[in-house]
This record gives sequence, structure tokens and C-alpha cells, in this order.
Amino acid sequence: MFCAINPDLDHLQDGQFDFHFSAKDNLTTVGLPTRAGSRILEGYRPAFDAHAVEAMRQAGGLLLGKTNMDEFGFGTFSTNSAFGVPRNPFDLDRSCGGSSGGAACATAVLDGHVALGVSTGGSISCPAAFCGVMGLTPTYGRVSRHGLLDYGNSLDKVGLISRRAADLEMHLRNIAGPDPRDPTSCAQPPMGKSAPVRSIAVPKDALEGVSDEVSRSFQDALDRLRDDLGLKVETVETPSFRFAMPSYYVLGCSEASTNLARYCGLRYGVQSEEITEHFDKYFSRIRSENFGREAKRRILLGTFARMVGFRDRYYMKALQVRELIIQEYQRVFQDHDLLLTPAMPFTAPRFDAIDDMDILEVYKADYLTIPPNISGMPHLSMPCGYAQGMPVGMQFVANHWQEGLLFDIAQRWEEAFRLRAPEVTA
Amino acid sequence: MRIGLEVHVQLPTRSKLFCSCPTSAQEPNTAVCPTCLGMPGSRPSMNRAAMEMGLMLAKMLGCRIPERTWFSRKTYFYPDLAKHFQITQYDTPVGEHGVYKFQGKDIRIRRVHLEEDPGKIKRVGRAGEESSLIDYNRSGIPLVEIVTEPDISSPAEARQFLSDLLTEIRHVIDLPEDGERSVRADCNISVGHERVEVKNVTGLKNVERALTFEAVRQTKLLRAGKKVERETRRFDEERKVTLAARKKEFEEDYGYIGEPDLGIFNIGDMARALALKETPLQTAERFQRDYGLNPQMSRQLVQTSMDLARLFEHMAEKVPVADVLPWITGTISSLWSELESLDDEMRDAMTGLVASCSRGEMNDQECQMRLRALITGEELTLLQSGAEELEGTIEDYLDRNPAVMEDYRKNEKSANRVIGEVMKASGGKYSSSQVVEAVRKAMESRR
Repeated sequence: MFCAINPDLDHLQDGQFDFHFSAKDNLTTVGLPTRAGSRILEGYRPAFDAHAVEAMRQAGGLLLGKTNMDEFGFGTFSTNSAFGVPRNPFDLDRSCGGSSGGAACATAVLDGHVALGVSTGGSISCPAAFCGVMGLTPTYGRVSRHGLLDYGNSLDKVGLISRRAADLEMHLRNIAGPDPRDPTSCAQPPMGKSAPVRSIAVPKDALEGVSDEVSRSFQDALDRLRDDLGLKVETVETPSFRFAMPSYYVLGCSEASTNLARYCGLRYGVQSEEITEHFDKYFSRIRSENFGREAKRRILLGTFARMVGFRDRYYMKALQVRELIIQEYQRVFQDHDLLLTPAMPFTAPRFDAIDDMDILEVYKADYLTIPPNISGMPHLSMPCGYAQGMPVGMQFVANHWQEGLLFDIAQRWEEAFRLRAPEVTA
Repeated sequence: MRIGLEVHVQLPTRSKLFCSCPTSAQEPNTAVCPTCLGMPGSRPSMNRAAMEMGLMLAKMLGCRIPERTWFSRKTYFYPDLAKHFQITQYDTPVGEHGVYKFQGKDIRIRRVHLEEDPGKIKRVGRAGEESSLIDYNRSGIPLVEIVTEPDISSPAEARQFLSDLLTEIRHVIDLPEDGERSVRADCNISVGHERVEVKNVTGLKNVERALTFEAVRQTKLLRAGKKVERETRRFDEERKVTLAARKKEFEEDYGYIGEPDLGIFNIGDMARALALKETPLQTAERFQRDYGLNPQMSRQLVQTSMDLARLFEHMAEKVPVADVLPWITGTISSLWSELESLDDEMRDAMTGLVASCSRGEMNDQECQMRLRALITGEELTLLQSGAEELEGTIEDYLDRNPAVMEDYRKNEKSANRVIGEVMKASGGKYSSSQVVEAVRKAMESRR
């Protein structure tokens, strides 16, 4: 689950730190490699800490190491890393989810651990659900992205994975706030206190395409939210959500294809001894040899979507869809505090089943996590049951900047629900 | 012949467009940071001063300024471009549809936008064994790009247009004089129907040369019954010719998308709040109107220095223009480079001299000497103490030779003797007119 361990761990004194944390490998760290799961960044030592890492260190945290991930966040199962595949602590033949797979895994097995994760299209909710832990993705712009290796700048959010609701709130307060090094973090209102949740909206088609076992766990959870927590649960229609997935892949890949242009073996990361070729050839060779298959696919997709003739048809249209989805959420939030769906349509799949999935099936697996991500809404993935020993997750979504509602539901559900720890330990 | 220019000017900000690195540095790669080196995890933040300068220029060029603007990524692979995308403006330039009045003609301005400069590549080593070094000091320096419609009709006109435009820009955003070399232009020219673009020509002279070469080349092709190919060429400064550029280098699709890290800027109010100074050429026109100056003289005035132009206006309020002009365009203009600073005190002193000369209280020669002394500074003290010394010498002589005064009362010509003696005694330290005047003054007061 870790792809780099803090070398200072060997000579620590007791009581030097208040808590331990990890950082997803796409957050820069001084003194530790930062490779975002990609071979192209082999050898890169950043000169600065990412804002979230810096904030956690300042809050008294000990950075244990860097957690493994899909290359640059491109994946749903953490199987697209150049540095091994983290395995699910509930069943080692199954995936941790992705792309913050290592982060969720570390949280599941290390007591009291809090992991910094990053979500672009569901990379916190998904692994949190598969590993039976809580994953909080704040509002876009809540946490500075300074020091985050970009996937899609208009989509990326730094968040937290933990087993305790109180930790999520405490540490989000540590890492949130305006930071001039990321102008998009400077427009945020102050984070409100935990605010009581009263009503929950569930999309009518929330269970469409969801496996039976996840459906059952989710239905049970709905009953408990209604009966034990006394919440009003109502069904709503969200017809535009089905456009979220194609739009997300257009936007994410378009931005990614420009973000990844800088990796070429010239200024950092891998370098070749052979540097007499024309730069075009050199860049192509380095990129061909060192990017993984999924990274190449998304670069091609993204480049295609922003070319003359396709830009209007894909990229510009996807921007419009994003506005539409934001409006849809805001309509729902006029009458409801939160929107709830399962986090993933199935429990953590076996690696051999993943091998058999075609790429569209993999992309489709994110259809529940993409709407809140493309619209920048804060969301929280919580375990809501277990099916054949594997955790099932549900995902609460709040309106922009309303993390306070998520703190409240996390706290109350935590009291009502018995969280299981995996039998394996680190 | 139709010529359109894309003019790039570096903006004279202290720090870069998207980071706080300085815009000047001695050693290569010393004015750099993670942002302008495009290090993973770094991101841009906007330099407000650059935005203001961009808006000033858009305003100066009479452009329509949008209420909201944002930046875009122009993606291409080149080693001097740290991120392999340039942050520029695509959908919402800070200005569009402007017009520049030039020699009684309208040059339409298509757009004005802001962007970051890439780094610089330097080739070193012997031919055949060359290697390339990259200096990223320039990476991220703010540029403004001004794109004209093809309204220019000759290479000479293009040069004159650029020269005028630079005079105005220099004044509006305080661009230093040496800014000329840092002006780069992409030159579009069509003699027939097909347009050729000559990329990245540096300096005014080269713009004219490149365009002239291209005009001749295209004319010859057309005369020979051949077709001009639509293409991108580059200008070889040493050989003064344009050459076909490698096709691949420029015929890419840049795949513009928005730059999400900078967000959207509401510039409407900012633009309205910016007060635009009168540009030098506008001042020149006003001088022609208000003071009856001829076009050449008024242009010379503003092009020497806008401070000189302002000094002229100040004097012209108090002294007849005909008496001011010879001093402004003569003595003052020729000594202008020696003037350290034109503060109010200096301005009033100069105006006082010109005024008293105009009233006949002082002859031209004295006025010239005093102006010279005033402007160059050092001689000013010498002259003042010198004047006292001269008076002392004369009084001394008159005290010792009381008979001279008696002669003088009978015949004023006897003053010549005194003048001669004083000149001799002071060893030619003072000009004859100075001595003549001082002696007359001293003898008149004793008369």
C-alpha cells in the first residue's frame, strides 16, 4: 500500500508526534519521492511540500510514507501503478479500489491512521467503500492544490480517509482554507460548524445497475437512517446525472493531456543517457517507454477531444453539462440537506474479474461517484454494510461549502453503525 | 500588398506573470521557481500589475474590453516551454476590435491579449557538435500580443507603424527605452492572394527587412506566373532572407482549453477605473492645434521626452510661444540628456529664465549660459560664486582708480579701459559679454 516510506521512521522519539498520516503519491513531499504511480517520475524529489502535507505536519502529524495509486489517478482499482498493486485487507485477492487505493488500505489496517487522498472522479469514495473506511472529498477549492500533481485541475480535490468521523472534521479544518499558492482556494467561505441533517434525497434510479448485494445493504441503511436516525428520506429525479460520466471523461482527459505534456525526461523524473536525438524524438521515446497504458489512452482521448473541430463538440459541450449537473444538485438541495446513493455499484472485485473487464466497464464503475465530482460538491463515503465479508459503501453529497452537514451525518452514522476492521494487519 | 502584424511586447513588470520571480537576472536560470519551471504540483497566480498594463494598452488602442476574461492553455512541445503548454488568452482577450490612428489612416486592431513568454534556447559549441542550453529566466515574463488586421500597405509603413506604436506603448506603461530589441513580431504579408507568415522577427529594422524581402520574393514568383504557397517562414537575421520553416513546427493544432487554475477575472470595473494618460502622439496633435506647432516639431518634442513636452506646455502658459520654442528646441533640447531630473523647482527656474529673456531683462547669451548652468548643475555654483568674484574685482579696480569714474561721467567709452583691465586681471575666466555687463552695472551705480 505504501510506495515510499519516510526514512526518518527509524529514529523517532516517543511522543514527538500527535498522530500519523500518509500522503497519496501525487502530493509532493520534501525528502520522499513523489511519482504519482508513474515510472516517468522515477527519481523525482520535489523541492517543496504540498500544502496539505505541510498543514498536516504543522498540526503535529508524522508522515509515514506515500501511498500507492493508479498512475496519475487514472483508474478505479489501483491496478494501474508502476509500483505494484495494493491488495484489499478484507480479501487479498480483491482490489482496494482506486485511485487512492493505498490510502484507503493504510487507513483500514493502521489504527488511528489518517490518509490524505485525492479525488478527481471518485478516487476517494471508491477505495473508501471497498476498504470499509470513511472518505471525505471536500468542495472543489476548499483545500489548496498547491503541490498536487494535476490530473484535471478543474476537478481535483484533496481530501481525507479515516476510520473516525471526528478525525475527518478535525483534519479537514487543518488542511482547508485559502492559500495564495492556489488561487482557486481563495474564494471559499469559512467552513461552518457541524450542522444537523434532517432530510435526505435518494435519486429514483440510484439502484439502477447496482449489484443485488449492494442494493440490499443500501436499502437496509436507508431504513436505519429513517428509523434509527429519524431522517426524512425522499426520492428525487436527477435525469441529467446520466450525462455526467461522458462529460467527466472528456473534461478530465482534456485537462490531463495538457498536464501530462510536461513529463518528457527533460527537467525531472526519468532521463535518458542518450540525448543526441531531436527533441521531438526524445520526448516521444521517453513518453512511450515510461507512461502506462491507461495514461496513454487518456492522453490520446483528451488530445482528441480538444482538437479543432472536436473542441466544440466535446470539450465545450462537457463544460455545459457540468453547469447543468450543478443546477440539478442545487434544485435538490432546495428541499433536502443531502443526496444519497451507494458509493460503488458492486463490492471490491477480484483481480481476475478486473482482468476480464473491458475499459468501458471500468469507466462505468464510476458512474455514482462522478456526479458530485464533476460538479465540485463535497461528499462522504461511509460503510453501510457488509456482503459476504466485503464492505459496502454509501455516498452522501452536500451542496457546495456545506461540509458541516457531512460532519454531522458521519458522526451520527458512526454511532449507529458498527464498523468492522479487517482481520489482516499491517 | 496587405500586411498584418502580431506584435509581442514584454511588459515592464517587476515580477513575472504568474509567479513572483524577478523579470531580470544576470546569470542563466537564477530567476526561476517551481511555477515558471513548470515543476509538478506548482501552479500560477495572477500578477495584477500585468493585467492592468494589458488593459491600459487595450484601452489605448480603443478596444472593446470584456466584463470577464480568462486564460487558456496552448499546448505544444518545445524544450523552452516548461509546461509544454503556454498560458495565453484565446476566447476572451483583454481587448478586441480596436483601431489605431496612424498617419491619417485607420489600422484596425483585431485583438490584444496577455500571455507568458517561454524560456530561451542558446546553441553552443562548434558546428556539427552543437548542443542546446535552455535559460528559463525569460519563462513566465508577461507579454502583450497586439494583432492588427492586414491594413498596412508597405514594409516601410509597417516599420513606421511599429515605431509610432512603441512610442505610445512606452509612454502608457512606462516601457524603458531599450525595449525596442525586446519587441518581436510575426509578420503576415500577401502580395497576391496567398498569405505568408514570417514568424518571430526581432526589432523594427528586421521587420522592415523581412517584409521587404518577402514582398520582392512574392512579386517575383507572381511575375514568373508561379503561385505563392501559403506557409510559415522564418527570418534569418544574418543573411537577411526569409526561409521556409520546418512544416511541423508551426502547423500544429494547439488544442486550446481553459486554464482552470487561474479562474475567471472580472475586469470590467478594473478597466473603467484605469485612467489613460494622453499618449505622446495625441499630445503632439494637440500641440499642433493649440500652439500652432508644425507636425515635425511637435513630434520631435514628444519623441525626445514627454517631460520636455510638458516643460514646453508649462512655459507656454507664461511666455509667448514664439519666445519659448527656440529655447525648448534649441539649448534645452540639446542638453536634455544631461538633465538629471525635472522637478518643480528646476521647471520654475528654467521658465523664469526664459520669461525674463522674453521680457528683455536678459540677453539671449546670458539666458543661454544660465540655462546651461542650470541644466548641467556643476557650473551653476561656479557661475554664481564667479559672478560675485567678478563684481569684487571690478569694485576693487574702481576703488583703486577713482579717476576712471570721472572720465566715465564725461565719456562712457572710458568704460572700455575698465573692461580690458578686468578681462586681463581675471585671465579670461568670464565671457566678454559677462564682463561688459558687470562693468556697465558697476559704473552706472557709481555715476
